[in-house]
Amino acid sequence: MATRDKILVLDDENDWLEVCREYLSQLPSKPDIRTVLSGTGAMALLDAEPFRLLVCDLKMPRMDGLQVLSVVRRRFPELRTVALTGFSDEDFRSRAYELGVDLFWLKSDMQQNPQMFLECIESLLGHEDGGGFRDVKAKNLLDVIRVEMALGNSSVLRITSGWQVAHVWIKDGQLVDVRAEGADGEAALRRLLNWKSGTFESLPSEPSHVRIITRSVDAILIESAQTVEKAENPTPKQEEEETRFVNRLTAVACEGAEFVVTVPVKKNEAAKGWGIKDVDRLAAWVRQAEKSARRLGEKFNAGPLTHITGHNLERHLLLTQEGGRIFAVGWPLDADPGRLFEQSKRLAETWAS
Amino acid sequence: MGILNWFDKPAPDVQKLAAGSFTVDRHGNVLTTTVGSAYPQWLLDDTAREVLSLFRGAREAQMPLTGLELHYAGLNITAREMQGGAIIFVAPQKAAAAPAPAQKDPA
Repeated sequence: MATRDKILVLDDENDWLEVCREYLSQLPSKPDIRTVLSGTGAMALLDAEPFRLLVCDLKMPRMDGLQVLSVVRRRFPELRTVALTGFSDEDFRSRAYELGVDLFWLKSDMQQNPQMFLECIESLLGHEDGGGFRDVKAKNLLDVIRVEMALGNSSVLRITSGWQVAHVWIKDGQLVDVRAEGADGEAALRRLLNWKSGTFESLPSEPSHVRIITRSVDAILIESAQTVEKAENPTPKQEEEETRFVNRLTAVACEGAEFVVTVPVKKNEAAKGWGIKDVDRLAAWVRQAEKSARRLGEKFNAGPLTHITGHNLERHLLLTQEGGRIFAVGWPLDADPGRLFEQSKRLAETWAS
Repeated sequence: MGILNWFDKPAPDVQKLAAGSFTVDRHGNVLTTTVGSAYPQWLLDDTAREVLSLFRGAREAQMPLTGLELHYAGLNITAREMQGGAIIFVAPQKAAAAPAPAQKDPA
């Protein structure tokens, strides 16, 4: 008996979970639908059972959807992911795609056009045996393009993966242009080659289409193939980095922090951040705060500086030092102020180890 | 006896940690203070300048803060922003008052 695919739906609103369950239960493949109210709960379930698809809300208290998705992408690379949000925000959309989600969908669109949503979900459940592009025997998109070029064809390939659509212009066997994910030319081609599955159709050629790609196509393809190979066969050092990254993200997620910025005490080293956009500007302030606090401490004979805290109407901020770095950790406003130092210290120790 | 001479040695000075509060305007001028007179005016001025500079820097870093606390082994300095100025509390560590919850902050 074939096992049913399992879908996990994560949202902080119970009512919405019920709506999702109702919609998804109409899927032809009749998957097993599970729901969960928090990011940490979702991580626990994903650890405990194999799921095929995660449908994840983005705006949630504590561990938000983007945090969940970034951890999930690393820890469960086979899991398909759908970001489902009530906010029509381009920044949200691009951040979600940067995190590697398979599909970004607005809740309002889902309710207005449930059929299309369900078709996309069904497609993501992936009954095409491990990816590949349907309608051709070729294993991947690169092969599809190579065949068109080898035949000296002039055509426009329209490629669809989930809701995403890309176009590839080929003229007399030459790759002329690619448009995908808001990019064009070589950048679009590189993004397109990361698509794991989809369908394509050949449209009539557009001879007047302006040539954007001027570099040797072979060079681009070889470069892309090398990149793919490198990504698929990480070195032990890369694997170690990967593991460290996952451990760090997991620690952030489990503690419930909003963001972390690490600022080397030495000014010539770059600050790094996770969960925040403008790392450099905050890092500059962190350095300023640390210096000011030390100066004041000396003047007051106050003893060693242990930590600095700040707050506003949205969050708490805590600065502490560990392993030659200052850690600035953002916490939600409902976090217990009395425990923030202990939690931040633990997080910094994990991060620095 | 030599041992008794130990008691003749002068006791080392024990410096009391500052305690009290003071308010500063947006220009860093100290308006009122309850910090003991053992702590000179320049120290309060320096503190005011550093604290206001930190609030300003945080705003520029897109992380505006309404409260700031510097925790040392022996002392806490707590600052609340007030219309561009600030009220600053200085308290020895053990006597440090618990900060008011952020959501109740009038700013």
